[in-house]
Amino acid sequence: MIRNVNLIAVRINRQFLRDRRFMALSLVVPVVLMVMIKYVFESLPGLARLNVHIADYAILFAAYLVHFLAYILSTIVLVRDRVTGTLPRMFVYGYRRREIVLGYVAGYSTIATVQTALVLLLTKYLFDVNLSGDLAAIVLTVMALAVVSVGLGVFISNFARNEGQVFPFVPMVVVPSALLSGIAIPIEDLPTFLQWCSYLVPLRYAVDVLTGVVVQGESFFDQLPSFFILLGIGVALLATASLTLRERE
Amino acid sequence: MEIQGLSKSYGTIRALDDASLLVAPAQVFGLVGPNGSGKSTIIKALCGILKPDSGSVRVLGLEADRNRHAIRERLGYMPQTPSLYDDLSPAENLRFFGGGFRVPDLDTRLRSVLEFVRLWDRRNDPLYTFSGGMRQRASLACALMHDPELLILDEPTAGVDPALRQNFWDHFAELRSRGRTIFLSTNQMDEALRCDRIAILLNGKILVTETPEAIRSRGKAHITLDVNGGQTSMEVGDYEKELPRILAEYGLGPQVNRISIRRQSLEEVILDLIEEAGPG
Repeated sequence: MIRNVNLIAVRINRQFLRDRRFMALSLVVPVVLMVMIKYVFESLPGLARLNVHIADYAILFAAYLVHFLAYILSTIVLVRDRVTGTLPRMFVYGYRRREIVLGYVAGYSTIATVQTALVLLLTKYLFDVNLSGDLAAIVLTVMALAVVSVGLGVFISNFARNEGQVFPFVPMVVVPSALLSGIAIPIEDLPTFLQWCSYLVPLRYAVDVLTGVVVQGESFFDQLPSFFILLGIGVALLATASLTLRERE
Repeated sequence: MEIQGLSKSYGTIRALDDASLLVAPAQVFGLVGPNGSGKSTIIKALCGILKPDSGSVRVLGLEADRNRHAIRERLGYMPQTPSLYDDLSPAENLRFFGGGFRVPDLDTRLRSVLEFVRLWDRRNDPLYTFSGGMRQRASLACALMHDPELLILDEPTAGVDPALRQNFWDHFAELRSRGRTIFLSTNQMDEALRCDRIAILLNGKILVTETPEAIRSRGKAHITLDVNGGQTSMEVGDYEKELPRILAEYGLGPQVNRISIRRQSLEEVILDLIEEAGPG
């Protein structure tokens, strides 16, 4: 099993290095978006009056970007594999569902690691955030979020027949993540029923950990419950994806 | 392989309608039919990547639904479209797909199959630089990687040039002589003639399963006789039975200047069978 998972992960990364458009989408887009966020927020005069430190939010946006991109890319690539017939071919050539799901997670985790490193560097230099003490906690949290993203991507790919059909599923994850995770609006300011809904948004737990560690200066140990919930959601999504990945038409 | 009463619908479209087939080992079996007749649907059901609505499939003596993983280790599958990774080279694709089966001595096998499909010199070039025929060859090489007992090939020679097509068929004959079974779909009638048995498929229904020669003998023969300067033409159904009667009737004396017999080709017979079966 490990051998086949590794074969898939290596293949995905090899393709990633060859596909310039894909590489551009994965690496250039986060850079452009982070720069955009910086200049847009700096130009808002109301933020300074409200005593909002945009640097506090930078790391949360960074996590949001990694989550969003890993989700979109893994969904599209898996649907493309199904459309071009390479996914059915993998099944016939001896790859099992769980190997395929874990192979994609391993492959995208490598890509997500590169994305995370890039985004963290940008956060550090663009927003002047000191990450040195919390780096391990941040990387672990963003990696767990990437696992959630890929699990969600594999699961959603079951419902799309072609790449175009992926797009209606994008707002389903992206909008609740933006509104209910605590990035844009504090969860305690939301109506009660939306506060309940926020428990279903994986990004919420990543935001909890990152806000605690980076903004409030708490230890990672204090954030372990949220971290383990995030990890648990990731594992549950991977298990669901392994069971639901369509092997037969 | 045995298919019994296989049916499959996609919405309101009935792709397979109570199809049954029996394929003996160590033969080349051809599935012949126009586009959309259900050939790929049968092939996918045999490979375990299609769940039929009803009916049963046995492959290599095993019930396909419960034993699909065990069956797959013993079969080589070539889909209708190349279904390989375009940004990878043939060597990388074959290593990846061959890797799923743990092919022993992977490097030697890789060289052997890529030389057979004449892609060894291009083994490290990305597939997106290849023509359609070259991709088909890479796809066939992939199906041969683990030297399977059973080859299931969906239109393997589509887009392949005539010389290489000949090579493919020579290789199929050689595989059959080594006891391998080849199940392929085609809409090239000259290829149907090279199969040991063929099944004709139309609108998801199997019209007939026979040897190509037995199917051809169902066709008509046009017989033209020049007798004493006049010409008599007739169309007979059962050529082998009718010919002696005609010869007896007209004799073979000096008054018969010429006898011309033209039997329907296999393609014509198949087209007639399809026409008789009608569009529904």
